[in-house]
Amino acid sequence: MKAHFAQVLARETTSLGAVTDAADLAHWRRGLIEELMTPRSPYAKALRQGGDTRDRAVFLDQWRDLIAVALAPVVESGGGADDGADVQRTAVLILAAVHGGSILSRVAKDAQPLNAALDVALGPLLAPADAAPAWTGANGPLGNMEL
Amino acid sequence: MTTSADPLNGKRLTARGVKTRARIVTAAADLMYVRGVAATTLDDVVAASGVSKSQLYHHFSGKDMLVRAVIDLTGERVIQRERDALGHVSTIAGLKRWRDQLVHNNALRHGAYGCALGSLASAVSDHDDVARLALEQLFAEWQGLLVDVFRRLQQTGVLPADAAIEPLATGLMGALQGGYMLAQTARDVTPMVTSIDMALKHIENLSVA
Repeated sequence: MKAHFAQVLARETTSLGAVTDAADLAHWRRGLIEELMTPRSPYAKALRQGGDTRDRAVFLDQWRDLIAVALAPVVESGGGADDGADVQRTAVLILAAVHGGSILSRVAKDAQPLNAALDVALGPLLAPADAAPAWTGANGPLGNMEL
Repeated sequence: MTTSADPLNGKRLTARGVKTRARIVTAAADLMYVRGVAATTLDDVVAASGVSKSQLYHHFSGKDMLVRAVIDLTGERVIQRERDALGHVSTIAGLKRWRDQLVHNNALRHGAYGCALGSLASAVSDHDDVARLALEQLFAEWQGLLVDVFRRLQQTGVLPADAAIEPLATGLMGALQGGYMLAQTARDVTPMVTSIDMALKHIENLSVA
């Protein structure tokens, strides 16, 4: 496997392994964005398309599994109704947001698209104070007035 | 004689020149979509378009210039397709039909080629700033179509009036582009389906109950 794939997986094993609640997840997200916005980081290199597709597929599967394992306690502590299947599906969305957000951020030379993509992917799991969500008041009086 | 300016080098082109140029760009766009930008050589484009190498060089000083023309053509195609697909969407069900169409088209090739625009972005953003700016503009246009959909959803009360719809459109585009990339690696459209569906579910959850 390519060196940067192995490097990312090693670091993710540590950083995702430390996640026990929403605050940890928000912390993980901040570090991840920093890495992805640094062109020389193994994270940025690992996300460039190209190279052996089988290596990449194995890398992505492993990263997705690490994310899913880290999400489980956050979903539980949040009292979410999500079941295991939803945790797996959320992990796929997070991985997609990391990829798609990164490419949009490279095109824009700005971290905002990556942030917006991760807001959509992680928003439901993060407490408002940690998430700095891209929307407000979904259930507030203003929203209800629109009915 | 009818002439038109070559958008890249400002040369006046005859009708025949316009045709030749279009043939080159179309062939290059198809090759780059299937093989990727890096794996497509100018010789490949010459062979596929049936023009001579000197004709190619008459229109394009090098590969970078050709790639820029491919971005323009691909962008035009994608934006037209998306304008047709999103232009009248004003419900969550309509957004799901848009998703069905994208997935259906991608599934025909087991997701092998990804999004034509996303692949170009991935290939050139880091080393050609002119191309990068053109792509930034195209993605902004595409996301603008999604913002318009969300605005219509706000007008009908489906989305709350104070929802920040621009970041939401960017986030959905990120999920879509990432979904394409995961599908491309997996040679299976399933992760793309999952990623768009989860993003749409998030948007649905913002709906005013």
